[in-house]
Amino acid sequence: MKTITLTLKKKSPIALEFDELIPDKVFDWEKVDFEKYQVPVGNRRFPLTDYFDIEVEGDAAGPEEVKMILDGDFGRVKYIGCKMGAGEIIVNGDADLHCGAEMEGGKITVNGNAESYAGREMKGGELEIMGNTREFCGCSYIGDWRGMSGGKITLHGSAGKQLGECLSGGEIYVKGDCDILAGIHMNKGFIQIDGDVTRWPGGQMKNGNILVKGKLGILLEGFVYDSVVADPVIDGKSFSGKYIKYNGDIAVNGKGNLYLNAEKNREFL
Amino acid sequence: MEYILKNGIVYDPANNIAGEKKDVMFKDGKIVEQVSSDAKVLDVTDKIVMPAGVDPHAHIAGPKLVVGRIYRPEDSRKGVTSKKGVCRSESGFSIPSCPATGYRYSRMGYGTVTEAAVPPLEAKHTHEEIMAIPNVDVTPLPLFGNNWFVLQWAKEGKIDEIAAFVASWLRIVKGYGIKIVNPCGTEAWGWGGNVHGIDDPVPYFDVTAREVVRALAQANEKLGLPHSIHVHPNDLGHPGNYPTTVNTLDCVKDIAKNGSKRNQTIHLTHAQFHSYAGTSWRDVESGAKEVADYINNNKHVTCDIGQVTLDETTTMTADGPMEFDLHELNGLKWANKDIELETGSGIVPFIYSGKAPVPSFQWGVGLELFLRIKDPWQVCLTTDHPNAGPFIRYPRIISWLMSNERRQEMMDNGEVRVWSYKRTGLGTLDREYDFNEIATITRASAAKIYGYQDRGELTPGYNADIAVYDINPNDIDPSKEPAAIEHAFGNAMYTIKDGQILVKDGEVVKVVPSHTIWTDVKGFEEQEKTVMEEVMPTFRRFYTVKFENYQVQDHFTPNPIVTEVQAGK
Ligand SMILES: [Zn+2]
Repeated sequence: MKTITLTLKKKSPIALEFDELIPDKVFDWEKVDFEKYQVPVGNRRFPLTDYFDIEVEGDAAGPEEVKMILDGDFGRVKYIGCKMGAGEIIVNGDADLHCGAEMEGGKITVNGNAESYAGREMKGGELEIMGNTREFCGCSYIGDWRGMSGGKITLHGSAGKQLGECLSGGEIYVKGDCDILAGIHMNKGFIQIDGDVTRWPGGQMKNGNILVKGKLGILLEGFVYDSVVADPVIDGKSFSGKYIKYNGDIAVNGKGNLYLNAEKNREFL
Repeated sequence: MEYILKNGIVYDPANNIAGEKKDVMFKDGKIVEQVSSDAKVLDVTDKIVMPAGVDPHAHIAGPKLVVGRIYRPEDSRKGVTSKKGVCRSESGFSIPSCPATGYRYSRMGYGTVTEAAVPPLEAKHTHEEIMAIPNVDVTPLPLFGNNWFVLQWAKEGKIDEIAAFVASWLRIVKGYGIKIVNPCGTEAWGWGGNVHGIDDPVPYFDVTAREVVRALAQANEKLGLPHSIHVHPNDLGHPGNYPTTVNTLDCVKDIAKNGSKRNQTIHLTHAQFHSYAGTSWRDVESGAKEVADYINNNKHVTCDIGQVTLDETTTMTADGPMEFDLHELNGLKWANKDIELETGSGIVPFIYSGKAPVPSFQWGVGLELFLRIKDPWQVCLTTDHPNAGPFIRYPRIISWLMSNERRQEMMDNGEVRVWSYKRTGLGTLDREYDFNEIATITRASAAKIYGYQDRGELTPGYNADIAVYDINPNDIDPSKEPAAIEHAFGNAMYTIKDGQILVKDGEVVKVVPSHTIWTDVKGFEEQEKTVMEEVMPTFRRFYTVKFENYQVQDHFTPNPIVTEVQAGK
């Protein structure tokens, strides 16, 4: 087991990029390798040691034996864990854009807030964010119609706009509230939101499931009432209580399911 | 500066040189018979030497490309490289950035590319992008097949007016020749419709594709333009479209040619998309045999193929209604634009997957055409970039054409589905192209078809546009080594343009500005003046821009190569 600890000593106003510092690439690095490494900052590179104190302990035969601990405010460090395939990254602070983007395996925990595009195009592994995140969590790359396809995102705080945009697999679980258009264009997978939702979940969804335990502000016209179901089971997960089930989005001939907590959303009945 | 390319194996089809060991010499940017003893020697012993490549049909500059890049950032992120040596950073796969377009053609040994669809209203923009593409000269073809003036005069049979209009407009927009896309169909799209077949009249103008194609062909030959009409017929991509294609080619058969270098009076572009039999995607079959037979029996026709490369790409064409059909078919995002009195366009991403029946079928139809058309001077290698795939796949297509074994392997091991041979004749064709035929379809035939008198040949006095590929043709068995063929044609040992070494060992080592090749018609000034007087009131009434802002001023073509033509001569 190898533990790599980076402790922030200077926060750059221009974002650093960390996609080269994933367990898959650094599992055999010694302290000296990190000290030699130049990190991308904007369109240039600077020594990693300008920004961090570095500790390396133990050995790893592969990325799965690596734990990276990022201590401090990483709110100006982009692409943390981007494309990682194994191992673990713990951010003890905030994370900037694209945290866990394109990740295929392993686990990232952010003990703070994550900026937009967290878990973009995620294919596998786990991303857990203890705070809030902003727009396009678990989405596609801009312009693409192929979004997150596997793995799990757990968000203890709230999500911004277009959560799980173009979702085609995997699971997103939001314990807090969620802003507009969760699951827009999704065609597979499951989004669970425990808190309240402002409006329009499932816009143009083709398939997949969205469940809202809290209160919904505005439902899209493309969702057709199906029935009130008791204790639904979705993707092997059971939910107690009554839920109003809708099908949609009929604007795109969608076969998706949207479940709203019946008790909290009585006015829709 | 004098150079001698020593001991190469030369393929120069225009001069009937097919694999001869000989030296090629050039001085001050031109091919010469001999050089002095001071000449710098480039040792290319037993390497393939050809004229630089000439691409007769691609979409590389103009508003369609920009819209494509804007709405497909997911394409731009593919092929990203950082700044290296003399090259700027690159981006994009099917719609590369302008510099990447130039570098990538240059690395394949190409020197000239046609931008095959210039909406005159957007010509300035096209030229601005050409300025940003280095290392390859660009030949823009303006669109005339849905132009309101042309439609009106075609209806009235006024060939002189069309000829004068074309002469003026080539000068106004700095274009080389006449491009026709889905004649009448794109105008019909302005009414929410399309036309089917060449005798289906367009709303309002009440004129047919047959009348428009014939009128433009007559005007083309009246002026004696260096290139013939360049036609994307009606019904692109529709099962059962091959009779439309054959009828289009046949409808100009009686029109006499008036061009000194070319043989054809009509060039059929991306023939693959126009060679389907059957009635629907359920019962579709190849019509390649019928189209190839027609081409084999009719010397007034040339074509390029538009070979499907089995990639994810971006389709973009002035065939607006076709793009809408495609969007309905694959459900992917769609961009559409109407170009006022001239044309229209659409863009849709497309995934040609070998795992799907239709792309496999299209892949088979393209190769079938290549193998059935007997005379390599009547056919050019294209992918209708980026429509059937990106141009960077040309080396791969060369490897397929040179290896029956590779084609059979792809069909056997499931790289393409059974429709590639069950619905086409490909499985029965074992022809393999040789290096001389490859040299013909990638440079010599295109240069002849365009009537170029300065490139496409290693003739003394011609531009020193030369490609050297790092293979010994006497040593390699292309049938057995497709990967080596693909690698060699994709990474030129030398690309020489106007006598300057731009690529060495597959790397761009020098970046030069491109030239814009356009046609200036002389001797038709009186007719042009009359026609302009007739055009201007309509122009002022319907165009959203003033004529003064429409014209392409000289500074949009800082490096022009002007082909002067004496009308009627
Ligand atoms: Zn085209």
